[in-house]
Amino acid sequence: MEVISILSEMDWAVVAPLLVIQAILLIVAIIDLIRVDNTHGPKWMWTLIIVFINIVGPIVYFIFGRRQE
Amino acid sequence: MQWLTLLQKEMTENVRNVKWIWVPLIMILIAIMDPLSNYYLPQIIDAAGGMPEGAEIQLPDYQPSDIVMMSLGQFSSIGVLIIALMTMGTISGERKSGVSELILVKPVSYVNYISSKWTAAVLLTLVSFSLGMVASWYYINLLFGELSFGALMQVLFFYGLWLMLVVSLSIFYNTLCRTPGLVAFLTIATIVLMNLVTTIFSHLLDWSPNKIANYIQQLLISGSVPSELIGAAIVTIVMSAVLLIASVYTFKTKDMAA
Amino acid sequence: MALLTVQNLRKQYDQKTVVDSISFQFASGKCVALIGPNGAGKTTTLRMLSGLLKPSSGTISFAGMNRHDDIRKYIGYLPQHPVFYKWMTGKEFLVYVGRLAYMSKQEAEQHAFRLLERVGLSEAGNRRIGKYSGGMKQRLGIAQAMIHRPKLLMLDEPVSSLDPIGRRDVLNLMDELKQDMTILFSTHILSDADEVCDELLVLREGKLVESGTMNELRETYQTAKMELGLERNLAFYRDKVAALPGVSACFIDRNLLHVSAQDITEARQTILSAASDEDWPLTSFAINRASLEDMFMKVVND
Repeated sequence: MEVISILSEMDWAVVAPLLVIQAILLIVAIIDLIRVDNTHGPKWMWTLIIVFINIVGPIVYFIFGRRQE
Repeated sequence: MQWLTLLQKEMTENVRNVKWIWVPLIMILIAIMDPLSNYYLPQIIDAAGGMPEGAEIQLPDYQPSDIVMMSLGQFSSIGVLIIALMTMGTISGERKSGVSELILVKPVSYVNYISSKWTAAVLLTLVSFSLGMVASWYYINLLFGELSFGALMQVLFFYGLWLMLVVSLSIFYNTLCRTPGLVAFLTIATIVLMNLVTTIFSHLLDWSPNKIANYIQQLLISGSVPSELIGAAIVTIVMSAVLLIASVYTFKTKDMAA
Repeated sequence: MALLTVQNLRKQYDQKTVVDSISFQFASGKCVALIGPNGAGKTTTLRMLSGLLKPSSGTISFAGMNRHDDIRKYIGYLPQHPVFYKWMTGKEFLVYVGRLAYMSKQEAEQHAFRLLERVGLSEAGNRRIGKYSGGMKQRLGIAQAMIHRPKLLMLDEPVSSLDPIGRRDVLNLMDELKQDMTILFSTHILSDADEVCDELLVLREGKLVESGTMNELRETYQTAKMELGLERNLAFYRDKVAALPGVSACFIDRNLLHVSAQDITEARQTILSAASDEDWPLTSFAINRASLEDMFMKVVND
């Protein structure tokens, strides 16, 4: 119940940008993961990390998962 | 011309490896984390079960300048870490993999090679940082009170100089060693060391680049640029230039192949 | 006039001398092989010539180049294991390195197009290099070395990491290229050198132990060998042959008498006349010229 009350109290103009950023990061990370030839560590692991860890997951993937060059 | 070709390649690379997407987004997140969480702290505490009976939540009455400092505080830690990680392989990685062998057998000037790498990294860093601060500014005006656009520009300029120094350090270590992880470590370690030295010899080092954030706070409160900030800015620019020259020098004296 | 002149070139790491005072020169239009076993200093030599390594001492001079000129303008270099930007397409890479060598965008694009065609990558030119096979990368490597129309093309072990088909392709390509440019390439396989080259530089433990044109070397190291087949008493005839004038050595291997001599014409005459005079039970007689392989083994193993 509290969660719902928070949601209704929050000003959507305030929260929307956060959600948009989270969504972009998630989508870009997934597309990139599909596109690259190989990653450090197995791809399935990165899929789980990107999808289930909010915001931090995609970032950790970009920094540590991608192979450079 | 050659410099532009090199820069263009760096920019294209950073677009294709999606750095131009994730770095700005992270910088925005870093910048708005504190404004948002502080504003919603009462609700968050409520949602977590509330305070015990009788306890009042006494939140300080934040001024816009306090929030700017919070954002900058995040840039000083997470932001610097991200910059170090994002730039750690720009030269060292190319040498480690061996691509640099194909590039440097062409008549490429080392000055062009290094300065184009530096420019690409500085551009990505500063644009991302600026977007982050603009987002923070948006929330400050929405939630905490007015901060002038002029003040925002001054914050961007002076703190941007500090981030430029961080990039210069990373580029320098890139020319010194071949392992990207080591480059990131040395960059962070140097900054931590500079912080330490600045804290210990605070009274002697009025113009230390590490003090830029403190002077920005004074600037925001008083509304005028403290003279020490000018000094620190000049020191920062000079240090960046020296690091770049040193980078070219180490590159010239080093064998480019294993 | 020599295109490239190298004098007392030396490279030392700490206490270890990898290349030890080598000197050589060759003229424009030649195809020169730098040959030697692994670890002989071939790669180090090429890297010094290409400007990637600084010589500990010695000089490298290029025809028509003044002291402050950048040697890299005149040289195209393919490392042993070329690494590219995987995210670029083959064509993008060629245009990029062409522009780094001061070509205009249009010029680089036109030349990249022609080179891709020449190395058989027209189709693959617009694909990402990350998807290329080993042979394709090697051919792209040759194309990138030629993009700025260098006077000298240097290839480091261009075929050693390739499968038989890729190897054939690259050797054929080199054969074509040597018609209109000077090539210096390193290899540890003599037959590759023999196939495309006119001149040899033999390196061993950092020293230049032999050099010359293929024909010169063949002549110098030519010791004729004869093989005699006999029905019986091989040991008896061995001693007889060994005693003949002009014969330098004679031994038995796999039921044949192996005879070496300095002057084969003379040795052949004495052996054959002795055989007919004494009615030897000859079953076969053959003359083998010493191959370059024997020379190589001899020079490298001594």
